[in-house]
Amino acid sequence: MAALNLNMLTENASRLGMRLQETLSEHTRDLAIARGTGSAYLDNPEEKVKNIAKQLDSNSDREKLEAMKRLIALISRGRNVSEFFAQVVKNVASHNLEIRKLVYIYLLRYAEQEPDLALLSINTFQKDLSDPNPLIRAMALRVLSGIKVPMIGSIVVLAIKKCAADISPYVRKAATLAIPKLYHLDSSHQPELIKIICTLLKDQSPLSIGSVAVAFDAVCPTRLDLLHQHYRRLCRTLIDVDEWGQVDLLNLLVRYARVMLPRPIPANGANGTTDYEVDSDLKLLLTSAEPLFQSQNPAVVLAVARVFYYLGPPTDLPKIVPPLLRLLHISPEIERVILTNLVLISSALSEVLAKSYTRLLVRASDPRQVKKDKVRLLRAVINAENYPSLLREFICYADDADDELVADSIQAIGYIARSVPESTQQCLTALMTFIQSKHDVIVTNAVLVLKSLVQIRMQQQQNMIALGGLPPQTFSPLEIISRLARRIDDLRHPKSRACVVWLVGQYAASAVPAENGIPVVGPEGIAPWAPDVLRKLAKSFMQETAVVKLQVVTLAAKLLVLCPSDRTIVLLNRYVFSLARYDLDYDVRDRARMLSSLLAGVNANIYGENDDGHEDVGGVVLRREQVKVVLFEGKASPAEDVPKDADDDHGRFGSLAAITGRWTGSDNYLPDWLEEGTESSLRDSEADAPPPPVYASQSFARSAGPTSRASPVILTPTNGPSPSGSFVRQEGAKAAYMDLDKFYEDAEETEESEEGESEEDGSGEEDEDSSESGSGEDAASAEGEGESDEEDEGEDEDEASGSSHIQGTTT
Amino acid sequence: MAIDGLIILDNAGRAIAQSGFHSFPPAYPLLHIDALNNALASAAHPDDVDPVLYISGINMDTPSACCHVKRGDLRYLCPVSGDVDPLYAFAFLQTFIEILHEYFGHVSAETLKQNFDVVYQLLEETLDSGGHPLTTSPNALRDIVIPPTLLNKVLSVAGVSGLATSSANSHPFASPIPWRKTGVRYNNNEIFFDVIETLDAVVNKNGTTAVSSVWGRVETNCKLSGTPDLLLTFSNASTLNDCSFHPCVRLQRWARDKVLSFVPPDGKFKLMEYRYVPISASSLNQVSVPFILRPAVQVDEHGGSIELTFSSRLTTRTMENVYVELYLGEGATGASCITSHSTSWSFNPRTLTLVWELRAVVPSASYTLRGSFTSTAGAPRPSRAFRVRFEIPQHNYSALKIEQLKLTGENYKPYKGMRGNSLGDIEWRW
Repeated sequence: MAALNLNMLTENASRLGMRLQETLSEHTRDLAIARGTGSAYLDNPEEKVKNIAKQLDSNSDREKLEAMKRLIALISRGRNVSEFFAQVVKNVASHNLEIRKLVYIYLLRYAEQEPDLALLSINTFQKDLSDPNPLIRAMALRVLSGIKVPMIGSIVVLAIKKCAADISPYVRKAATLAIPKLYHLDSSHQPELIKIICTLLKDQSPLSIGSVAVAFDAVCPTRLDLLHQHYRRLCRTLIDVDEWGQVDLLNLLVRYARVMLPRPIPANGANGTTDYEVDSDLKLLLTSAEPLFQSQNPAVVLAVARVFYYLGPPTDLPKIVPPLLRLLHISPEIERVILTNLVLISSALSEVLAKSYTRLLVRASDPRQVKKDKVRLLRAVINAENYPSLLREFICYADDADDELVADSIQAIGYIARSVPESTQQCLTALMTFIQSKHDVIVTNAVLVLKSLVQIRMQQQQNMIALGGLPPQTFSPLEIISRLARRIDDLRHPKSRACVVWLVGQYAASAVPAENGIPVVGPEGIAPWAPDVLRKLAKSFMQETAVVKLQVVTLAAKLLVLCPSDRTIVLLNRYVFSLARYDLDYDVRDRARMLSSLLAGVNANIYGENDDGHEDVGGVVLRREQVKVVLFEGKASPAEDVPKDADDDHGRFGSLAAITGRWTGSDNYLPDWLEEGTESSLRDSEADAPPPPVYASQSFARSAGPTSRASPVILTPTNGPSPSGSFVRQEGAKAAYMDLDKFYEDAEETEESEEGESEEDGSGEEDEDSSESGSGEDAASAEGEGESDEEDEGEDEDEASGSSHIQGTTT
Repeated sequence: MAIDGLIILDNAGRAIAQSGFHSFPPAYPLLHIDALNNALASAAHPDDVDPVLYISGINMDTPSACCHVKRGDLRYLCPVSGDVDPLYAFAFLQTFIEILHEYFGHVSAETLKQNFDVVYQLLEETLDSGGHPLTTSPNALRDIVIPPTLLNKVLSVAGVSGLATSSANSHPFASPIPWRKTGVRYNNNEIFFDVIETLDAVVNKNGTTAVSSVWGRVETNCKLSGTPDLLLTFSNASTLNDCSFHPCVRLQRWARDKVLSFVPPDGKFKLMEYRYVPISASSLNQVSVPFILRPAVQVDEHGGSIELTFSSRLTTRTMENVYVELYLGEGATGASCITSHSTSWSFNPRTLTLVWELRAVVPSASYTLRGSFTSTAGAPRPSRAFRVRFEIPQHNYSALKIEQLKLTGENYKPYKGMRGNSLGDIEWRW
């Protein structure tokens, strides 16, 4: 028997195989299956294109499908195929779902370009709004709202209204997304649209609620008062909304909270620490948003971080750091965005970030932007404890192949030296070793940093001398200058050369060699290395860049003022000034002219005796001492190269403007807190009328606080363990049943069944969860058979109610 | 105020597919493509191109930005304008790429061209023309866009297209659970967990570990019928930090009991991600790097010499696919090396990187590489660190174990499979 069956089976199989082969060979003639069916469509010869119209009019579904695929292929190659619009529209009522979907894809692309043709078929779309397939209904609405003819605005409003009451949440979502499009097309429909938004706000399905936030933002961003009734429910459904909706909804709720809720006020806690009094509604938002830190979607995590950064009390601020650090390893692009955002808030969070600074270490393989931001962050977390290891890191980065990182990290070393006084010696040692480096970029940056450090040290030294006594130092500032002066030949970067020349000139007089008992070799009153630098630079003056030339002229003038009697210096001066006078750069010429007139009182004829161009212009001639003051005093103290402070970031945390660093076309600044929040009773909706213990516990906490406002609704205080709505049924399965029964009774008896359900839905997942967990625990503890049966029943009920919500209500 | 659209470029910078861009001038997508191609052409390193490019726009009043990622051979662009969080764009790109992988397995310019009709359907279904993601859950998407299978292809060629469509769910969005479709039936009910952990570490010049962290993710492939409700217990859940979960996981339950309670989606999905932190206080809460690298790099004029010893610290396990890489600095022209048995080296002239490849490193063995490189630069500046990547199959740093998997809601016993795999990405400074 079995053998017979098997025989029959094999026979049938082989017969089927043969038939298939037959049909295959028949059809592959024009389809070239061997190369993959898809690419065959992509190489469209012209005659095939002409054939499309005929195929679309044919009776065979296969022909039509092929024609549609060809059209889509043409679209993907960027060709305009709107000429086929009329033929395609005819197929919109096709019975084949496959064809229909492709037709709608075509229509979605071209309805906006060919509004007149689309208008002709508007009846078809309207009819499709009642199609049994939600996909088709949504597609029809998307095409309708895509037709950019203001005339049909009212038809679209009707369509949106119809779809907004659809049973499928998917269609309702399409309806909400159509609202902004219509509004942009014709803003005169605003009142009707706001009405639709209001109904949609009551939507129980978490699927569409996120897009309602989008529509709200587009149509009536300032009508935040419409949200009063829904605020608490929105907070509670947050966790069930899809990830994209969560982002939109969170951003809307942040704005709402800023405008409508009172700011957290510092209040002294019991044990001396500063506690913050947080409004119960704000607390609800924070506690509902916090679990979303664990989302897999980075955009959601950043949106939650925004909530805490802009709304939370400062004590909650550290919570945003670990989730953001977690995102760093996901992908290089996300790392780049997150790092820039961290930089933005680093001043507020430097202490928290300092604890996990090792997570921010720069890798040699990081992209450039990432390196830059990481160094900025590491710099922001420097403190007295971690500076030795950070200094080691920065020294390591100075060997990097990326010049920008080298510059940033050497500057960071300078920053350590300035901000942590104990570190100065180590930093100077490191910087002095950098000067020996073979690589230009390291030397240049080290010189620039050393210059500012020397300036600071000289100032400090003067203060110290005034106070009496100098601390022992490995590198006195003058020694640094003398070392730099000796290295002048090796410095190639113009900026660093100019820098050294300036240092030499500025501090040439400060040398006190006589103290050590060493005989002075050079001219009196100036350090021995100063004239030598001038000599070298005079020799190479013609090859220098303008920046260096300016500094050389200044150096010459300074030395002359310090030592007007020395013949060598006078001669060098004469040489330098003569060259500068005829320099190609007008700045250099101007500087030379200015300084020569200034020096008239010191050395009357700086351009040499045989110069006849010199004329007495009259006016006041300064004495040597006066010139000295002019040249040496009144230098600006070294500018701190601190990145611009981010005190007022205008809500830029988590925005595009923060990343690109430029204005991005919209001033979406977060509104500032109001003086006082709006009355919290505004947010009491009927949905909250049978108060869940959660709220009670919160309002209890509030009324206990020092600045409580009289709440018109008296909620019975109970000792709910957590302020989150999710723990409603924590006490166990029994309690859950009680609630559920009550809920069903309510649903039957009262008119407000919908609001009651909203309550249910808000914590739908958790309900299921806790009852589930209850059953799990009970099963584990092996209790009575009957009870667990009962629980299973309850579970089913629960699930049924949950599914009906997601389906939505047919009204 | 949202994503403007999505463009997929091949590796020559030409557009393969793009979404509608209805409300923008026709030049808008081209502007972004050109800006990206120009930036790529002018950058020394493709990695150095900022992932968020600022684009000033045709007329200056509408600036926008181009968020782009490269995956495989393809580049995915996401132009955004207005004040939108770039992470939103990147998250969407990542989701879309995952969907493409789900649909086509291997994603390349060729597969996308072959299945362009599916790609276009996916574009329309995942992104509304207003720039908001529509349906991104793979389970719901499979109901409305039929994945290309060999069967479908054969059937469509054989002219029985009616059969192909009937296999799709005629009632999309019927499922009460957004991430799981209804009516799933399998003959063999099975669920597989892949625990993949990556060790991310930086080792200092003196051989001490500056930082090391282990990032793990649990990839799940679920083939269970009906609507199963699972309860997953880990043996050492307390070592898992900074967790993130698939939307199906009940967060409260995790917060309370450190167990995963969820109704899984059908097919492949990423259940959770975590950072493993060992509890023992002795090892400074760090996982040690499983090898020792002794580098000696000498940089001379126009070149230098390299000597490397790689020794495995593992005593029982074999390390596989070990790559030791060093960027030799601008101007590097070539290298010549001698390596010990069963390893090989290469120099990539495009990335200027020396790569030493060790296919299999047997327990506690040592390998050496000796060689020199040449450069046109007078003082070459090779990278300050080696990058070492490796793989240890059938191993987990965290020794994470699934203690128990309880199934409720259905009456079958599923087959449960768990597999570990460890990766490493170490920076070793010299």
